[in-house]
Amino acid sequence: VTNRVVVAAAVPLVPLAAAALIALARRERFAERCALVAGALTLMLAVATSVWALTSASEPWIGSWLVIDAAGGVFVGVSGLVGAASLAVSPTYLATSTQSMFGDDRPHVHYYTALLLFWAALLALPLAANVGAAWLLIEATTAVSALLVAYSGKRRALEAAWKYLVLTSLGLGIALLGLVVLQVAQHTADGPVGLTYVSIHRAAPGLDHQVTLVAFLLILAGLAAKIGWAPVHNWLPDAHSEAPAPVSAMLSAALLPSVLLIAWRLKTALAPSVGATTVAHVFILFGLVSLAVAVPFLWRPLAWKRLLAYSSLEHMGVIALGVGFGGPLALVGVVVHVAGHAIAKSLGFYAALPLLGVQPSTVSHPARGVARADPRIGAVLGCCLGALAGLPPSPLFISELLIAIGGVETGHTWAVAVFVSLLSLGFLGLAHALIDALAGRRRGIRQGLPPGRRIVVALTGAGVALLLTLSGGALALPGSTIAHALAQGLV
Amino acid sequence: MNAAIVWLVVALGLGVLTVRRRSVAVAVVSLQALLLAGAAAAQAHSADDAIATAALGVRALLLSALLLLVIRRTRESRPVRADSGPLTRAGAGIGVAVALAWLVPTLGLGDRNAERAVLALVAFGLVAAATRRATVFQIVALVQIDNALALAALAGAPGLSALVELGVAGDLIMVVLVAALLHTRIFAEFGSADSRHLGQLRD
Repeated sequence: VTNRVVVAAAVPLVPLAAAALIALARRERFAERCALVAGALTLMLAVATSVWALTSASEPWIGSWLVIDAAGGVFVGVSGLVGAASLAVSPTYLATSTQSMFGDDRPHVHYYTALLLFWAALLALPLAANVGAAWLLIEATTAVSALLVAYSGKRRALEAAWKYLVLTSLGLGIALLGLVVLQVAQHTADGPVGLTYVSIHRAAPGLDHQVTLVAFLLILAGLAAKIGWAPVHNWLPDAHSEAPAPVSAMLSAALLPSVLLIAWRLKTALAPSVGATTVAHVFILFGLVSLAVAVPFLWRPLAWKRLLAYSSLEHMGVIALGVGFGGPLALVGVVVHVAGHAIAKSLGFYAALPLLGVQPSTVSHPARGVARADPRIGAVLGCCLGALAGLPPSPLFISELLIAIGGVETGHTWAVAVFVSLLSLGFLGLAHALIDALAGRRRGIRQGLPPGRRIVVALTGAGVALLLTLSGGALALPGSTIAHALAQGLV
Repeated sequence: MNAAIVWLVVALGLGVLTVRRRSVAVAVVSLQALLLAGAAAAQAHSADDAIATAALGVRALLLSALLLLVIRRTRESRPVRADSGPLTRAGAGIGVAVALAWLVPTLGLGDRNAERAVLALVAFGLVAAATRRATVFQIVALVQIDNALALAALAGAPGLSALVELGVAGDLIMVVLVAALLHTRIFAEFGSADSRHLGQLRD
């Protein structure tokens, strides 16, 4: 067990150390090589932690600062995978980027340092046993990733980064007020007992219901701004569309769900005081509102990365619903959805690099007729959008089905009816975008080999294999130890 | 906590909404934090309390120095005016504060005056971020909300502020540093740090 805890603790420490080395060395070539080596090592450690967490799901390791449980294992694995892939794609992005916010002062050193710091915080988030530490990590991701969003230094990127920094920091301020209120409630009830999920859950039955409800709502409202739940999602499409493609992938596929995991753990911890029905209804409300806000945008002709950003809003809504429904089936759906969404969405963002080479107008207009111009890139776009839309055999089809059945099982039939209706509308919107992107009328096509096509096609091949494996695995999960561990949570 | 200090902190918070100059707003939030640090020092009983007090004070001084330096380096040729006048902004701030006090039954601090003061500071911070157009004011709004948290921690439970203040001070300084960097880049790119320039991204 000790070895496994050391491995888990090393997961965020490797990118942190690599960032420090790169910042000290200040050499661009070294930065790239060091980042790639650290990426490979971190991925191995993250996968090992993930496998261990899932194979011993019934016996989570819970310490004062570190926790390794089934849900955390999935999120660490996902963040590890997406981060490593983003590092692999980064040289292609940097080769095509013409300007940087950092000017000529070794911009690649700044880029890799910030990216590795961001990744380290993301990897530490699911492993943090203390919600106060998790808050600090989330705030750290905001500061570092805002720099990455603004990396190109273009006006639109500066605007996106500013909105992202101000809105999410305001939200996190509100969440911190909730944590202070929660701490005060513990102090008033029976002396300070700390902010670990387990201690909060143990203290919850003795806490003042009204105060804890206020704390829960403040925390969730604050975190919602970071998760990108409607109606506090305004920064999301801008930041996702203006950030460098590898960063957009990490924001959408790893950051948003990781913050959602913190909200999920708090839901379980505070349910004895706030009430299981109340906490569930708050999540369901956020989920349905997010879906309702996202769907009309999926019907609009949007630039590729903005379309993916609104799809993130939709998927965060789906995950919120799964957490809100609770129960083993819906929660299995949640983790499958998190993993499937991460793979498909990050491939989508990476595809933006060669897509811009094939059809430069996609920076501000929808992709059209790409399959005829470049069949390989067309295939990549098809796989991503098909998977994100939930087209069988995408694991997202299975996860959405599991969440819907889980919702009916836990008695939320009305919410499931609205969920399925909105999901169908979203599917039609994405299907239309898919047909248009592949077979629409071609315009502004540039001939020649687009940058990054080789690596993006290779990653898509691996990604599709992973998606299909996930689909098969998802069918075996209901009724398993993992499903029970997910329903049990950190209590 | 002394009621006079609590309401003085709130009055300063209203100042962030109404003052015209960026440097005055920075001075106002710094004074707020220093007042809170003084109040924390007066009720300090342990090493933890002393650490929290020091963190609050050092944070206030560091942030004010940083923001004043940023303002000096990004002098506007013309003042960046808000869309609405100071009275309207103050009215909006008070309105949101009253609404929050009505919506939030209790924060469990054991002192309803302190609770109302915390909610008022949060409301003023949110309204300042939404209505002030100079980007420095939006940074000041973030600091103001943080001061509200410090007040809540001080009024609610003596002894827990060390943890809150140390971690939060570090993170807040990091966020303000990044915000200051972005503010400087926005000024360099647009010739003015006016958030009206940041309106290109729409669907």
